[in-house]
Amino acid sequence: MLGRFGSLVPLVTQNVQQQRGMATLKSISIRLKSVKNIQKITQSMKMVSAAKYSRAERELKQTRPIGSGATQFYEKAEISAPEDLPQKLLIAMTSDRGLCGAVHTSVARLIRNELNNDQQNLKVVCVGDKSRLILQRMYGKNIIMACNEIGRLPPTFTDASKLADAILNSQYAFGSGQIVFNRFKSVVSYSTQTLPVFSLAAVKTAAKLPVYDSLDDEVIQSYLEFSLASLLYYAMKEGACSEQSSRMTAMDNASKNAGEMIDKLTLTFNRTRQAVITRELIEIISGASAL
Amino acid sequence: MSAWRAAGLNYINFSNIAARLLRRALKPEFRAEAAKRDESHIRITKWADGKPIRQESSA
Repeated sequence: MLGRFGSLVPLVTQNVQQQRGMATLKSISIRLKSVKNIQKITQSMKMVSAAKYSRAERELKQTRPIGSGATQFYEKAEISAPEDLPQKLLIAMTSDRGLCGAVHTSVARLIRNELNNDQQNLKVVCVGDKSRLILQRMYGKNIIMACNEIGRLPPTFTDASKLADAILNSQYAFGSGQIVFNRFKSVVSYSTQTLPVFSLAAVKTAAKLPVYDSLDDEVIQSYLEFSLASLLYYAMKEGACSEQSSRMTAMDNASKNAGEMIDKLTLTFNRTRQAVITRELIEIISGASAL
Repeated sequence: MSAWRAAGLNYINFSNIAARLLRRALKPEFRAEAAKRDESHIRITKWADGKPIRQESSA
């Protein structure tokens, strides 16, 4: 502001000139300080999520068999979505917390694409505040359930079973469904994937169900209830792990960027300070020689 | 039909109750660790027509 003013009015008095130099110096140092504080925050957030990540990864390793076991059944029995029941359910696995890159947005984007194809027969269960916030404005009418208070602590099986229970009791009759979650691949990568879930009717009419021995309706029903809970639990764990790892990278990048900014600002600060000193010297010397 | 289903429970409730009882039956040195797995913080709200329904069920 002052700088622009100075260039418009070249005949500024010495006093104002000096003040301008001081003001920029001060404003640079204030900015430098705030960027340094931001770097401290992002660095400590990185440390926190690194600790949470290592725990999440350890727990994920234990959880993977649960998820693959449940998906194997669907694959082996070759269950397909029933044609007379087009209603579908989408479960978005996100969390309440942000600042972790595109983890939540990629889940929401996948769901948005599905919803753009078919608004009528799709309902969404939003797990975590983030997916709800992204989806509620455009597709609020499609949300039948929202969960929060997730992501602060590692998800437990009790969380998953409460959610599964709520979905089963939701009076929404769906033929098939998908759990949309981020599958953790490595510290730097995850991919947004879906896990299928099916209703009891779909499983009963499955082509290859007879490969399983001694199944009656009650066993299938019990197993489906339990497998929904375990699939949700697995998806929660994968999601939590990718979220923490993604937050770790995001915070690492943020600290790096803050570091670059600090370097640049320090350089400008020193240069400005030097310029002020030089100018003052010139003023003194030229003043002395004029005497 | 099993007794627990007749009582209005589904398999998730049934297995969770069983798990809770098993955790309580553990030796004290393992019980504290296992009790952590019993906690749950999730809050579930039902939605209709783009708005949350007032009464929040923490089922």
